[in-house]
Amino acid sequence: MKKFVSILLAAIMALSLCLTATAEGGTYDVKIWVAENAKELTEKQIADFNANNEFGFTFNATVEAVSEADAATQMITDVEAGGDIFCFAQDQFARLVQARALDALGVKASETVAANNDASTVAAATSGDTLYAYPLTSDNGYFMYYDKSVIPDEDVDSLEKLIADCEAAQKYFAFEQQTSAWYLASFFFATGCKSDWTTDDDGNFISVNDTFDSPAGLIAVKGMKKLVDSPFHLSAGGADQFNQNAAVLVSGTWDFEAVKSILGDNMGVTDLPSFEVDGTEYHLGSFSGCKLMGVKPQVDEMKGAAIHKLAQYLTGEKCQMERFEALSWGPSNLADQASEAVQANPGLAALIAQAPYSVPQGQIHGSWWDIAKVIGEDVKAATDEAGLQQALDNYYEKIASLFKLDNNALLFVGAWNGWNNADDTDTYYLKDGTLTLDVPESDYMGGRIVMPGDWGTDKGFAQVTVGAELIKDLGADNPDNNIVFAEPGNYTITWDGAAITIVKN
Amino acid sequence: MSETTAKRHMGLKTSRAITNTTIHIVLIVISIIWLIPFVCIVLQSFRVENTGQVGYVIPKVWGTANYSNLFQTDFPRWYTNTFIAALVTAVLQTVIVLCMSYTLSRFRFKMRQPLMRFMLILGMFPGMLSMIILYRVLKDLGLTQENATPGLILVYIASSGMGYYVSKGFFDTIPMSLDEAARIDGATRAQILYKIILPLSKPIVIYTILTAFMGPWGDFVFARYIAFGASAGKNVAVGLYDWLSRDQISNNYTMFCSGGVLVALPVTILFMFLQKYYVEGVTGGAVKG
Amino acid sequence: MKQLSDLEFLKLSKGQKFGYKLGRFFTGIPRAILNFFLKIWGFLKKCGVSIGRECADIVSTFIHGDWKTKTSFFIMGFGNLARGQILRGLLFLLFEIVFIGFMVISGGYWLSMLPTLGKVGPSKEYNELLDVYVTKYNDNSFQILLYGVLTIFFIIAFIYTWRVNVKQNRIAEKILATGKKLKSGKEDLHSIVDDQFHKTLLALPMTGIIMFTVLPILFMILVAFTNYDGTHNGYTNSLFTWVGLDNFNTMLSWSGGSGGAQSYAATFGEVLIWTLIWAFFATFTNYFLGMFVAMAINKKGIRFKKGWRTILVLTIAIPQFISLLYVSKMFAKNGIINGFLMDMGWITQAIDFFGDPSKPWLARITVILINIWIGIPYLMLITTGILMNIPADLYESAKIDGASGWQQYRKITLPYMLFVTGPYLLTSFTGNMNNFNVIYLLTGGAPTNAAASSASGNVGYTDLLITWLFKITTGAESKYYLASVIGILVFIVVALISLVVYNLLPSIKNEEDFR
Repeated sequence: MKKFVSILLAAIMALSLCLTATAEGGTYDVKIWVAENAKELTEKQIADFNANNEFGFTFNATVEAVSEADAATQMITDVEAGGDIFCFAQDQFARLVQARALDALGVKASETVAANNDASTVAAATSGDTLYAYPLTSDNGYFMYYDKSVIPDEDVDSLEKLIADCEAAQKYFAFEQQTSAWYLASFFFATGCKSDWTTDDDGNFISVNDTFDSPAGLIAVKGMKKLVDSPFHLSAGGADQFNQNAAVLVSGTWDFEAVKSILGDNMGVTDLPSFEVDGTEYHLGSFSGCKLMGVKPQVDEMKGAAIHKLAQYLTGEKCQMERFEALSWGPSNLADQASEAVQANPGLAALIAQAPYSVPQGQIHGSWWDIAKVIGEDVKAATDEAGLQQALDNYYEKIASLFKLDNNALLFVGAWNGWNNADDTDTYYLKDGTLTLDVPESDYMGGRIVMPGDWGTDKGFAQVTVGAELIKDLGADNPDNNIVFAEPGNYTITWDGAAITIVKN
Repeated sequence: MSETTAKRHMGLKTSRAITNTTIHIVLIVISIIWLIPFVCIVLQSFRVENTGQVGYVIPKVWGTANYSNLFQTDFPRWYTNTFIAALVTAVLQTVIVLCMSYTLSRFRFKMRQPLMRFMLILGMFPGMLSMIILYRVLKDLGLTQENATPGLILVYIASSGMGYYVSKGFFDTIPMSLDEAARIDGATRAQILYKIILPLSKPIVIYTILTAFMGPWGDFVFARYIAFGASAGKNVAVGLYDWLSRDQISNNYTMFCSGGVLVALPVTILFMFLQKYYVEGVTGGAVKG
Repeated sequence: MKQLSDLEFLKLSKGQKFGYKLGRFFTGIPRAILNFFLKIWGFLKKCGVSIGRECADIVSTFIHGDWKTKTSFFIMGFGNLARGQILRGLLFLLFEIVFIGFMVISGGYWLSMLPTLGKVGPSKEYNELLDVYVTKYNDNSFQILLYGVLTIFFIIAFIYTWRVNVKQNRIAEKILATGKKLKSGKEDLHSIVDDQFHKTLLALPMTGIIMFTVLPILFMILVAFTNYDGTHNGYTNSLFTWVGLDNFNTMLSWSGGSGGAQSYAATFGEVLIWTLIWAFFATFTNYFLGMFVAMAINKKGIRFKKGWRTILVLTIAIPQFISLLYVSKMFAKNGIINGFLMDMGWITQAIDFFGDPSKPWLARITVILINIWIGIPYLMLITTGILMNIPADLYESAKIDGASGWQQYRKITLPYMLFVTGPYLLTSFTGNMNNFNVIYLLTGGAPTNAAASSASGNVGYTDLLITWLFKITTGAESKYYLASVIGILVFIVVALISLVVYNLLPSIKNEEDFR
């Protein structure tokens, strides 16, 4: 009864708060971090929101220019001092969720945002089943700019010809192979390699399916080797390179205006070229990603609600269109994407041409960028095929140990106090297929065995051949194929690739 | 003078002339190497045809747009922040350093040796580590972000006592007998400092002021941490450094150069005029060490 | 190695003398280290003895003291007040009140939380009406650690002040017993500009050093024993807590560890070796070249002395982040240096100074050379002054003896310089070990050392320990605890080097010699 009364009271209080808010609105101080070139536009958009929003909110906004790369690092260093609303590239997403620097969207808001934005951008802002950020753009991919006065149009489809043209003209080919995993992945995607990661609701990575270290990966690094070995390859980016003797630049829409002002009529824009290894042509792939807008966790619920409304407005149809018009940022909003102006934009057209070869950039482990970046250095330093293979092996070893996962090993995920209680879930790694574990006395003495990289397919109850008497058969109540021990104790579990053996010690 | 000595004299003279010419040539080469980067920066700051980095040095179109554009940005604010920080630091840090070094040079008290050894050991810890904690302390005091400048000043002067080394060396070279004579005449310790030691220590005072004044202009790591994204709290180094980030460099590179010239100007001018004292101070101090 | 008598030593040939000295140096190291520990032990013993003596003194003061003294044990400054030293008494009393107030209001809380560094992390709740999550932050490990340490500082200060208070009572009793008068407040005030003037002068600088240097260092040492990192920031995500020596184990174990790359210990070794090489060359190239430039400018018959100096001094006057960033761009693969070399036809393809992992030494040597550009001016200024101090008659007599310029340099200039600048060389060596700016601005550590790079941050061939430490704190995982461990190791290395060199330098031995 007491509990009921308190809930009722809380509900009445919340309702009254809500009503006052909708009736009178409120004035809130917010700090907003955006990229430098979007600063003025954002200030104007907030003024618009202040002037005519249906909730009656007023924001005293301080808009600061904080580059998207810095924003995430700063937020993680000190969430309290960070911007209430901040923009970042999607590769920082999981890191931010893990550091609890992002406030999850409310249930209703999530539905609206998911319905209005392009599916890959919504996926990029989702960890587990929770939407943590607002899609801001959908243009974070790369393609090729080139100087028409140096590169003949018929050569733009072949990496080898491009390199030869650059060398002949003593001009540089700028494509970040030693300094950025984001660009370096291009070669791997060309040969069909992938690095797919899965996250849970708290931004923790629970599995990876990574095939960079494979025969296809070896072909990719052979292609990469051709480029990085050229004396006229430049591992640098930015439109500026055209000022400094570059003839080819792999970059994205953000450099479009700058390249145009440098090259003028000589600017060529097209999809990435193909490279040839052992007589087969491989078209370079790319990441297609997006930029997101996040709200930091709020202590005051009214302010939190207000700020989320503001963020939703800033990433809404109207604001995205304004940003496209002023800055050529490709919108993620579906209605904006369908508009004629967006369809006709040449930078975005190149992205569209590259689209068939691009891979949506899902959630990728924060450390992957550092680990993968080194491949470029290793490839550059390699002298023969063994060296190239070594580069891949080094990479794979780091990924595997980062995650303590092996593609042929199994994970035992225990949930001793009941499933879905994330804090008490222990994940064990069956190294060499054998695991010894203590099962304490609890309501639910079990867990499940899963294949890493293949999270959905559970191996479990049905595969137990030896020791079936030690576990409970939950029958139809066990859709997850859980192994539930009958009594506490110390068990050894073995997996030989087909069957599970359980021995009580 | 016999003929042979005259000849030898002549020979010496020519050989000295040859050495001197060689040295002059070497010095000219060195000067060119030393000046190239600065000349380039100045030239870039007058280039208006393109705001990014370019592969050539001499501007195709000359103009002062980069300088006038600086005033459309937050640069004046950053400049003021740094200038205030430099000024205040120069005064307070000098006072603190002089207090510290004078005491350690002139007084013989029980804790003197342990104190000096302790500070020597403190100095061996990499200062980089303190950054995180200092940030938190300043944050609790409300001296970060927009209010970063007073926070920075506080940190600069608070730890400046550690840099007593050079000026202590200088004080050590002033004879103790001066103090003793004054003591006999009935002067207090404080009077000795003001009336006798300080007038003799002009070079080291100027040296200390100069180094203290120069410090805040170049701090971009710690100052960046403290400003934490707030433009109003940046110093000039942080503001300019951020212009070189990937998304800004092609718009702001020449402005970075012109800003750099403006930053270098006051310090360079000051340095040129006070060079003599700097040399006297640093040698007076370092000789003793 | 046997110690030789002076006579035996003189009999040795030049080579043998050198060998002997070298041998003595190395056999001396274990002895120096042993001495060091003995000294520490002696210090501890002395501390123990003096603490015992203090305690005995306190007890006897209480037993033999009058009622004023006894009350002072509980109400600080009471004795001073009762005996007419109002100023001192009030200060003591005020300190006690502030201390008790602080301990009651917050000090007790910080101390009680210190063993766990907080219990309750942040929580999140969904508000259905507003369709928003509300976050509640609870304990703050960082603040607990910080203020816990501060509280301990404060308690120590209190105990010390209390002890002074007790001692003063005893002294006052003694003075009064002999019939003399106690110092008045006015005399106290006078003494702070006279007898006690050193305390006045030191008060402000030392407070600053304790708050902004000692406290942070102590704090960072403690962090090395916690799991403080980007995902355990102690407040807004997870709390951090004590982990004992785990971090040192991670750092110092040789079996692989840092995310599949080579072990941290191996990486640390690699970076340390380069750091030492760098520090050596950065110090000595600058030292000798700076000396030569100074000598060249000072030479009789050289014109525009002031002009040359002014040009060189520009590198000191202009902030490094401007000049070094520009220089690093000059050395880029498509920078103007390569452009110039190619235009002159000296090379056909650009040299990748900082970007080629197969040529780590190219980057390293380039960095050392560029450092000369920065370092020479300082050394030139310093040596200019010292060279002028060398008595001119030394050279005169050398000339009369027919010594050549080179001989004069070797027999007079260099020994004098080395003697006088010995301490400077040491500080500049340790300073170069921690030379963050040059490496960070020029190369950022590039080219990347693939084998040593791992999940907790990339390491480059030109990375010094200090830049590596910086990368770890600002890298993807922000492992502050690991940075702290490296910081402590850096301290140990620097301290060891200083200790050894310090004991070898002639000019430090006796401070008073120079008067």
